[in-house]
Order: sequence, then structure tokens, then C-alpha cells
Amino acid sequence: MITFEAVTKRYPDGTVAVDALDLEVPAGKTMVLVGPSGCGKTTSLRMINRLVEPTQGTILLDGTDIKERNPAHLRRGIGYVIQQTGLFPHRTIEDNIATVPVLNGWPRKKARARASELMALVGLDSELAKRYPHQLSGGQQQRVGVARALAADPPVLLMDEPFSAVDPVVRASLQDQLLSLQAELRKTIVLVTHDIEEAIKVGDLVALFRPHGKIAQLAPPEELLAAPVDDYVADFVGFDRGIRRLSFVPAAGLNLDAGPVLPAAATVAEALAAARPWICVTDAGRPVGWVDATTLGALPGGTPLGQVPAEPIGHSFTAGGDSLRAALDAAVLSPAGQAVAVDGDGQVLGVATFDQLRDAIQAAEGSSRRQARQVQHAQQGPPT
Amino acid sequence: MMWSWIPGNWPLIWQLTRENAYLGVVPALVGLVISLPLGVVAARWRWFYPPMLAAVNILYAVPSLALFIALIPAFGLTDTTVVIALTVFSLCVILPNVVAGMRSVPPATRQAATAMGYGWLRRLVTVELPLATPVIIAGLRIAVVAGISLASVGQLIGVSSLGYLFIDGLQRSFPTEIWVGLFLVIVLALVCDLILIIIRRALTPWAVHS
Repeated sequence: MITFEAVTKRYPDGTVAVDALDLEVPAGKTMVLVGPSGCGKTTSLRMINRLVEPTQGTILLDGTDIKERNPAHLRRGIGYVIQQTGLFPHRTIEDNIATVPVLNGWPRKKARARASELMALVGLDSELAKRYPHQLSGGQQQRVGVARALAADPPVLLMDEPFSAVDPVVRASLQDQLLSLQAELRKTIVLVTHDIEEAIKVGDLVALFRPHGKIAQLAPPEELLAAPVDDYVADFVGFDRGIRRLSFVPAAGLNLDAGPVLPAAATVAEALAAARPWICVTDAGRPVGWVDATTLGALPGGTPLGQVPAEPIGHSFTAGGDSLRAALDAAVLSPAGQAVAVDGDGQVLGVATFDQLRDAIQAAEGSSRRQARQVQHAQQGPPT
Repeated sequence: MMWSWIPGNWPLIWQLTRENAYLGVVPALVGLVISLPLGVVAARWRWFYPPMLAAVNILYAVPSLALFIALIPAFGLTDTTVVIALTVFSLCVILPNVVAGMRSVPPATRQAATAMGYGWLRRLVTVELPLATPVIIAGLRIAVVAGISLASVGQLIGVSSLGYLFIDGLQRSFPTEIWVGLFLVIVLALVCDLILIIIRRALTPWAVHS
């Protein structure tokens, strides 16, 4: 656990980068510091491994004041990843990754074996071990940076805009990898970014900074989207926060209608008997397409549905795993205006109309409003 | 051109070439040893560099012959006098390159090294100096080539080098000797330069060679 107690950083020219910051990063969680440039998020991060010394206040790591630790030893127990990677251009990939184990006195052979484990962990081909950093792509270099930070298995990981310098596709895959690594390793991570989407995607907790080093709101991402404390937070979070917030609401609560779902072997007469404007045709339980009732009305009653031309499904959503955002997206993209729900094996469970989606969204809104009221009661002092 | 002069005087030519190589290379190496700590200090405390550079440049402006004469009372008409004078000149080339080399280390790399738990000395020796090596060797190459050509001036105070062939050729109106001296100075400079390029490649296998 990392604890900031009234930490202030004031530069000699009088600029206040961080202003009486109190912050607690729970062990095993990812805390994202997000905000505009000049808000003190990077300064706060660098105070944790003493690259920057606070002017006032105390930072505790697992209850010990970091000022009492030898800086070099403290840093060897804290992984550090930066945007420009900071890889050593004169060392091979494996030696870059082995840096901290070697500093800790491991024999080179053992350190290289550890490096090779980490390359596998972060998804780097073992053929790259003997290459130099400039021979790798930006995304690969960033993976090396993460592997190097994890090499000595530090309990704490600091990441300073780790994915800002790569293109959006690579960035998304690096973020996904961070999430899966974190699910496995449970490090205490502090990640700095200016990208609110990234904060919401990777954070267990998000601390949104105002300029000059004050926290505007500290909350889990879904709460930040549902209940921003003021206009500054609402503006920073963005105009479509309502839709994005649905990412955190499971689709499991949707009422599904199995009535319009019929197998390809069923007849047109059976489909018309279902009395629905659109019929979802399945083959061996999997969705095939949508047919509309008007088309069916013009056909002989004995025609099997499999022979009727169908509109494509678009995409379905997994009732157990996906969010309401995925369900809503599936409905918007569907020709029938309905989302097809499948189970983990791709078998159709039923469909959800906009009415059913609206009911589920309103139920979620109700619970988040109650939550927001509780948060406001719990926060000390009025939100500014 | 009297080609037959060359095989007849081979022992002399070989000896002068070796002496010239010594007078060219040793001052550059001594200059490197002095420049490394000064350059590291100047790269770390920036205010230190301008006065240091000014001092070195003023020394560089002193005519080499004047510097020889100033050193003779202390060291006599010896190799030492020439080596000291040429070392002073080599500082002027090598020191700025050590500083530039140290400054060429990417700030992110330096910061990452610190954040990973390097102490300053270990960071200097295992990260910063290796990364500065290509730029430092570039300075060393210039110093060695300049040293080899300047060494012949030492002949004016009687310190033996390929300069002997110029002075002797002139006095005897014997152009062959002058041409041979000139050719050997150039070849010697090129050979030393090539050796330094090979050393640089061996020391910096990571660098992109163009």
C-alpha cells in the first residue's frame, strides 16, 4: 500500500505542482492518476520512487516512510515504466530486462533466464532476446519496458504514460495485456495518463487531478462516469459518459424474449404465429439472420425458414459476460433494432428490444444515483 | 623522385615512422585520460564547462613552437616536451567531445537508470560512458590525426619524427625525402584512424553504422 499524507511539491520558482495531496493506493490495485498537463500527476508518481523529493508531507510504502530508505534500494523494489521506454540502447533486449536482477547481484546466467521468462509473459518472441532496442517496433519496445520493470518481481509498479507513444491499435493491445497481467500478478500499480478512456479501462480507482495538484475526484471508474462531482470532472470525462458508463453494467440483468427465436427447420406459418415483427432464425442453436414478418406474409405457410432470405445479424452479445454497452451496440447495429443474446457457447438465448434495454438502463441509473448520493454523503467537505 | 633511396634507408624510415606514431598517439591517449573526468564534471555541472572550455581554447591558440620553447626549461629537448605540448592541444578536441557524448545520452535512459536503482558511479560507468563512446572516439580520431601531423614540428627542437625527412630533404635539396615523409605522415594518420574505427565498432556493437 502507498500512502500520501499531505504531500506538497513546490518548485524554487514558486510553482506548486502538488498541493497537500492525500492519497491511498490499496495493495494489489491499479490507481490511475489522470488530468491535464501540469496537474501534478507525473510529479506525484515520481515522488513515490524519490526521483522527486516532496517539499512537505510524507509518503509511506507499506507503512514505512520512504525518506528513511536508501533511494537506490527503494527503487529496485519499484518497477518503473515510462513513455519513451528509457531502454538502454547499448544492451540487448534480454540484458535490458535483466537489469534489476543484475543490480541485485544475480549471476548473469540466472538473470538472463529470468529475462526469458518475462519475455514470454509479456508476449515477446524469444528470437528478439539478442537484438538491440532500436531493432524493435515501438509496441515491442514498450513490452520490453514492462518486462524490465517486472523482472525483479517488485510489489509496486509505476507507469508514466506507458502507452502514449504507440498507435491506437497497439495501445489497446498493450492495455489488454496490462489487464491480464494484473489479473495474474496483483501488483500495486500507479499509472499516469492524460487519456480518460485509458484511465477508465485499466483503473480500479481513478484520481482525476485539477491543474496545480489537487484531486477533483477519486472514485472507481464507473462511479466517475455515473456521478461526476462537478462540471470540471464531467467535462473531463466527456460528453458520451452516459453510454460509456454502460460498459460497467452487466447485460445479465436484461429481460430476454425467446419468442421470436425459431430454428431454420420451422415453417413460415409457425413464424407468423409467433406474432413478432422480426424473427431470429437459428441453425443448431446459432444465430443465422433476421427475417421480417412482411416478407413472411407473402410466402406459402409451409416454407421452411432456412429457405427465406435473411438479413445478417450484425453482432450478438454474450448475456453472461458482456456489458449493457455491448447489448445496446448490438441493438443499434441490428436491422431489427434488437440485440441477439447468446450464451458462452454461442447458442441463442433470446433477443432484447430497445424497450427491454431502456428498462435495464433505467434500473442501473437508479442504483448508481443511490450510490452517488452515498458518495456525496461520505465525502468530507463540499465538492468545489 | 629517386625510388632507390627508399630501400637503402628503410631502417631510418621505419624508426622515424615509429617515433612519429608514438608522438601522435600518446598525447591523444593522455588527453583522453584527462578529458574523461573533466568532461564528466562539465556535463554534470553545466556552469563549469564554459570557463573550462575557454581555458583549453586559449592554450590551443598558443603557437606550438612557443609552447615547446616554454616547456624546454623544465623538460629539455626531449619527447616529454613534445608529448606535453601535443596533449594540451588534444584536450581542446577531446574535451568538447566527452561533454557532447555525455549530453548525447537520452534523458529518458538516464532517468530510467536512476529509477531502476543505479548509483551515480555505476550509472556513469555502465550506462553513460558506453553510450558516449561513439562521440568520444570521434574526438579521439581527430586528436590522433592532428597529433600525427603536428608531431613533425617537434623536429624543430630536435625531437625525432618524420619531420626529420622534411628538414633534411630541404637542407639537401632532395625532394624524394620530402615526398616520402609526406606520404608516410598521411598513411600513418589513415592507419591510426582505421584502427580507431575498428575499436569503435568493437566497443559499440549496438550502434547503427552508416
